[in-house]
Amino acid sequence: MKIKEWLSRLPLWLYGCMLLPLLAFGLSKQDASYFSFSDIPRIWTDEAMKDWELPNSNPEYSAQPVSEEFYYKLPERVIYKTYPVYHPDHEPEGYWEWLHEQEAEIVLDESKLLTEEDYIKAGELLFDYPIDTLGAVINTQHVRNKDFYSATNMPLTPEGIMPFAQWIVGGKGKVYLGNLSCAMCHTRVMDDGSLLKGAQGNWPGDKAFAFALESDGVSERGVQGITNILFGSPFADGDPHGKLLSSGREAIIEAYKAVPEGAFGRQGTSILYPPQAPNLIGVKDRKYLDHGGLGQHRNIEDMMRYIAMNQALDFLNFYGDYNSIGLTKERLKSGEPIFFPGTHDRHSDAQLYALAKYVYSLTPPENPNKPSAISESGKIIFAEQGCVTCHTPPLFTNNKLTPSDDFEIPDEHYDKYDIFGISVGTDPDYTMKTRRGTGYYKVPSLLGLWYRGPFLHDASLAKLEDLFDPARLRDDYVPTAFKPHDVKTKAVKGHEFGMDLNEMDKKALIAYLLTL
Amino acid sequence: MDIGYLDIVVAPWRSSGNHCVRCENFNYLSEKIDFRSRLLLFMLIFFLIVPLLLPAQSIKPTNPIQFKIKNAGIIVDGTISDWEVMVDFDPKKLAQSSIRGKANPESIQTGIKLRDKHLHGREYFHIQKFPFISLESKSLRSNGKNAFIGIFELQIRDVKREIEIPFTLTQTGKQQKFKGEFTIDRLDYGLGEKSLVLSDEVKVVIEF
Ligand code: HEC
Ligand code: HEC
Repeated sequence: MKIKEWLSRLPLWLYGCMLLPLLAFGLSKQDASYFSFSDIPRIWTDEAMKDWELPNSNPEYSAQPVSEEFYYKLPERVIYKTYPVYHPDHEPEGYWEWLHEQEAEIVLDESKLLTEEDYIKAGELLFDYPIDTLGAVINTQHVRNKDFYSATNMPLTPEGIMPFAQWIVGGKGKVYLGNLSCAMCHTRVMDDGSLLKGAQGNWPGDKAFAFALESDGVSERGVQGITNILFGSPFADGDPHGKLLSSGREAIIEAYKAVPEGAFGRQGTSILYPPQAPNLIGVKDRKYLDHGGLGQHRNIEDMMRYIAMNQALDFLNFYGDYNSIGLTKERLKSGEPIFFPGTHDRHSDAQLYALAKYVYSLTPPENPNKPSAISESGKIIFAEQGCVTCHTPPLFTNNKLTPSDDFEIPDEHYDKYDIFGISVGTDPDYTMKTRRGTGYYKVPSLLGLWYRGPFLHDASLAKLEDLFDPARLRDDYVPTAFKPHDVKTKAVKGHEFGMDLNEMDKKALIAYLLTL
Repeated sequence: MDIGYLDIVVAPWRSSGNHCVRCENFNYLSEKIDFRSRLLLFMLIFFLIVPLLLPAQSIKPTNPIQFKIKNAGIIVDGTISDWEVMVDFDPKKLAQSSIRGKANPESIQTGIKLRDKHLHGREYFHIQKFPFISLESKSLRSNGKNAFIGIFELQIRDVKREIEIPFTLTQTGKQQKFKGEFTIDRLDYGLGEKSLVLSDEVKVVIEF
């Protein structure tokens, strides 16, 4: 499909939003000063990009990223000052008008970054900075509409701030709603209203997107188009996303609504088996990134690559000859910018370095669940039941990849990756039928369980109790968190550990898990 | 001695001769071998193999092999139940005595099925490639009354190592009961990798 043709198929609202911000910000910032930071690695090299990701579970369709040349030609992101978004009932008097009086203010000057602390601070700023003003998920009309908050059950801070998006002022009178800051998906509003940055987010993103599609009256073709861009994977066995598309507008919107808080259909994954939003606190010690372990994490460069790829250069990846936004390889080679959220510019290497440093610096809040006699007996059960083999202290993961039931481990993987060659039997589809699927699920860390949830890679279980409830293995079970939109019941299979314990022992085990 | 017996020994190769070069060569050879050298060949085979086979008695013990390993501070008890031993043991003729055993790691049990399955996999016993564990005495010596020490070659996966195993013998009439205990370092045999929670040492108890 030609880009023009593709553009013409986009929903009008998206199309309309695209051009405005570009006018506001201009395209490039011709400042190459970051190259002088000798310790900042150049991460997107053709050499490095070849094998840092694991192959797709269907290896012919492994991701082929854009070239080093293409990547470094993209303009770097400029970081403007942002302002909080309030629920309309909580917005201070005159705030909206005041915002429109503000001038654009650039808040990050890379040449001033010298120390580790400087980078971490800059990283936090970047973490909260939306990379998109094209309306990738929601736009101004939505967040200024009260119905948006009730329809999505949107968590708010005690001040009435919706912390998942920000206002960006690109010039006097130019106020844009910013999407896709890391904070959008990786910040949690805790029960007491406090914000926990980096935690498993509780942004109801797919419900918000469903609201946007509905309230904008996006056509069936529009809904299908954007859903295909996000999740299309026609090479997957049975083409489940193709089937979703052909099930029509209402069904697709229902599928978005089915994704619970704490999970998000990130591009290249799925809303049919949405990935749990991972906890970034402690990510420094994890050897693989994503639930399928798609990105190796051997050093800070790999983390930088992961961020660059996911924000959001992977829209430009080819999977075999397939590209979900309808690009051709020729179109990509022409070097013309591709105006889609996250693909027409990039973070500078220094920005990526700062982001990675910040993410590494995240520490958990103090755990209110102190060890007790019960949790101590749970600790013994944890060892007796063999949990330790996979959830090995002190990280509470052995940092290995387990194959899904449907995946045959290629011999050479044993030498290349850290493999624990046993399937725990959970739903294989995320890792077998998506662009990001590798055939594996990594063993997740159990640190911080007390401030997270829902659980499992597809966020299907709301509580730890549910994980040890044998009822979940039956077909008449109603999953307590994510339940596919087109079924009433569904067994949550696999990971049958600790399920035969008596009630007392289960309580003790859970008490222990909550102290981690 | 009837030459027909040799034909039985050779025949299985012969009959499949058409399919493989090596067998055809054998055929070709065997046609050239005259009667006397055939006899010689037979004698050779007979005297090589028979002494090894005859005196030893193969037993399928009822007690499984037991092992213990510490995992996260807890002792995990496991067994390997499918195994057999061949014993030719005379306390007065230790130099001529031998003990050999063979165990099937597929029969390993640790109380958690998925864990057993994992132990079958290539990170541990890799049973597809290495279907047997074997133990074979190299030398035996006395260590007091009814007590002995044997140097054994233990093979797990593709690793062979000599280990020393002290054991005891209880003899009632013709019946001999042996019991031995030893400790191995699982890493020496490529069983898993270094772990923060799983100890390297595995204690093994063998009784039959
Ligand atoms: C729109 C939502 C969204 C945004 C924006 C987002 N992420 Fe994520 N992130 C996710 C989801 C969902 C996953 C899990 C993906 C999977 O497993 O398939 C994830 C995974 C990750 C992981 C892998 C963690 C692990 O343990 O596997 C890292 C690291 C990460 N994100 C960092 C970031 C950073 C840094 C930013 C900002 C630059 C960011 N993300 C922006 C939703 C988001
Ligand atoms: C064979 C390895 C293995 C063993 C043993 C094991 N787990 Fe897991 N565990 C996993 C894997 C793999 C996942 C992720 C599965 C998925 O999401 O599909 C997981 C997920 C979990 C989760 C959900 C974490 C999250 O962030 O959603 C919890 C809680 C958990 N395990 C606890 C336990 C406990 C308690 C035991 C012992 C009773 C145990 N596990 C035994 C491999 C194991």
